[in-house]
Amino acid sequence: MLTDFGIILLFMITGAVFVGIGIFASALIRPSKPTPLKLTTYECGEEAIGSPWIKFNIRFYVVALVFLLFEVEIVFLFPWAVVFKELGWYSFLSMVIFVVILLAGLAYVWAKGDLDWDKPKPYVPKLEDLVITKKD
Amino acid sequence: MTINLEHYLILSVILFCFGIYGIITRKNAVMVLMGLELVLNSANINFVAFSRFGGLNIEGHVAAIFVIILAAAEAAVALAIILNIYQNYKHINVDEISNLKE
Amino acid sequence: MIDEIFLSQLKQSVDLFLPETILVATFIIALIFDLIYKNSRYLIAVISIIGLVFSGIFLVNQSTSSAAIFSGMLSFDPFGNFFKILILLTTIIIVLMSVFSKELYEGGRKTGEYYILIVGMTFGMFLLAVANNLIIVYLAIETMSISSYILAGYTKEIKRASEASLKYVIFGAVSSGMMIYGISLIYGLTGSLTFDAINSAMISSDISGLTLLIAGLMIIAGIGYKISAVPFHFWTPDVYEGAPITITAYLSVASKAAGFAVLIRFLKVSFFDSTNYANDEIWTLIGTIDWQIVIAILSVLTMTLGNLVALWQTNMKRLLAYSSIAHAGYILMGVVVMTDIGVTSVLIYFFVYMIMNLGAFLVVMIIANKTGNEDIQKYNGIGHKAPFVSACMVIFLISLTGLPPTAGFIGKWAVFTAVLKSEYIWLAVVGVLNSVVSLYYYVKIFRNMYIRNFEDDSEIYEFSPGTYILLIILAVPTLIFGIYFTPLLDWAESSVKIFLGV
Repeated sequence: MLTDFGIILLFMITGAVFVGIGIFASALIRPSKPTPLKLTTYECGEEAIGSPWIKFNIRFYVVALVFLLFEVEIVFLFPWAVVFKELGWYSFLSMVIFVVILLAGLAYVWAKGDLDWDKPKPYVPKLEDLVITKKD
Repeated sequence: MTINLEHYLILSVILFCFGIYGIITRKNAVMVLMGLELVLNSANINFVAFSRFGGLNIEGHVAAIFVIILAAAEAAVALAIILNIYQNYKHINVDEISNLKE
Repeated sequence: MIDEIFLSQLKQSVDLFLPETILVATFIIALIFDLIYKNSRYLIAVISIIGLVFSGIFLVNQSTSSAAIFSGMLSFDPFGNFFKILILLTTIIIVLMSVFSKELYEGGRKTGEYYILIVGMTFGMFLLAVANNLIIVYLAIETMSISSYILAGYTKEIKRASEASLKYVIFGAVSSGMMIYGISLIYGLTGSLTFDAINSAMISSDISGLTLLIAGLMIIAGIGYKISAVPFHFWTPDVYEGAPITITAYLSVASKAAGFAVLIRFLKVSFFDSTNYANDEIWTLIGTIDWQIVIAILSVLTMTLGNLVALWQTNMKRLLAYSSIAHAGYILMGVVVMTDIGVTSVLIYFFVYMIMNLGAFLVVMIIANKTGNEDIQKYNGIGHKAPFVSACMVIFLISLTGLPPTAGFIGKWAVFTAVLKSEYIWLAVVGVLNSVVSLYYYVKIFRNMYIRNFEDDSEIYEFSPGTYILLIILAVPTLIFGIYFTPLLDWAESSVKIFLGV
């Protein structure tokens, strides 16, 4: 019989073998004709420019922080959903109060404009731009 | 060999020590926060392990949930403060932010 | 699963929880109003004051009730009520102070969130004062800390404020992390997180000594951080200097009060042998930790370091920060003796400390409104430029030193009596020596205000009538409680009852 650690070892071996088979098999089957163009880093069809260690736009942080706060509250909803049937209206009411308070927070964030993703406005060329004015 | 309470406790102590080590040695404020998350998670492992193996009540699991929530809230506020520090100082090196000293 | 008994208990719990519910409602209403009326200057302050006063009315009404509510999660008793009233009074004074703060409104800064966060922090401290479960303690400490991290850096474009909030959040998060680890160990040792269940577990079975000591010290680290006792005080001077003055004053009184409330309740309910207990007796503590020695060491370190380092401070906020560390040391002396008299003296000292410390910070704030910073050099000749304010400052300083006929003397007298009654002579001697040292730096401020007058004294400072009223509100009780202190004593003595659980 396997011990608990044995199970973990088995799990790790299985994982490694699984990945190994995939890589090995594809290496066997696929044709290998590298060209410089093929070896470049794939980035959605765009050419990769510069180092990957760039600074992210600050807008990501604000949205990420807000997301983090609201997402974690799900933790409370799961245990609640499990016992919901047994506790009935009392638990429903408690959770409604909880969610309403959260919604007030969300509304605040929204109204403060922290959820707005203000895109840089593309410049639409006007007719005047196309007309080449003669300089005297 | 079976995995029992001791193993979880050893894991949590190791995590706790790594967390404290990270907090003390790292200069980058975000790294300090990561060390902090390790400390909180080590406490979480303790709670759940005690609750599962000690034949205790469900209180440990509930405690773990609250710790997760508060860790997230604290991390959010701390990151916002670090962002503000970056705007004021243009870096987040904890050692160099020391205007306030006698 | 829901039956009549549960419903009636729930109703009682909700009734007793009304002051806190009002605070939460105030929080949300203020949030909404802040969105609608974006440009109002004082609206949110007014809403907060109204909410706080309402909460206070219900608080005073229930001051004699004592019960465990929400299935023993919180325990309402006169002891918690005393601290809640104290915290509430502090909050109201701080909100009023903030309205006059120039620093806060500088450059047309929006202050709606500031008052909202203060209300949120008050809620956290209320919860801490009545917490009877270690998870609630952690939750409450975090609720108040997270608000205070933001408040400490509220003037966010000022470099020192943002630095203060960074230091506060890092130290605070680490110490609360230590605390939650300690809590998890306690949970493993006793199988429970409720204070009274921990107590019964410890009475009924042998609990391993070293682990309990480590767990206990970790929890003390978390609480000690809030009351800025010495090994955990590193953040105090920096944060106090960097944060807005109103927040400094708030942290030095209210969050300290909440920390002391939970410290005393935790020690008494969890580690107290209720099997052989008589009134006025020293509490017999169970477990292998000698809490008296631990707290006594903390106390001596705290007051000595606080007073000695305060001697060469040149910034008023920093000086008062070290002075508040020292005062935490004096208050800890009252905890060391572990008797009901000791707790009474803590309550008296805290009330007095609240009035005089807020007063001193108020003076620092109104002087800083005029001069722009808190350097002690700026106090030269203030005695001639602003006679009334300086006179009030003298009262507060005398009181902080602990000399008669001010309220500070009553506080010190109560603490020293309690210490001497329990025959901790050496502790009392250390306390008195420290008071003598503290006299030196308080006199330094006094000397700067009156005797040194380098600059021209033609300029007379004018202050708004509101600040005068606030000053009088704080200065008069400082004098009155020094002479007529019976109501304070009675109130403290009747508030010493801690609900020990069912």
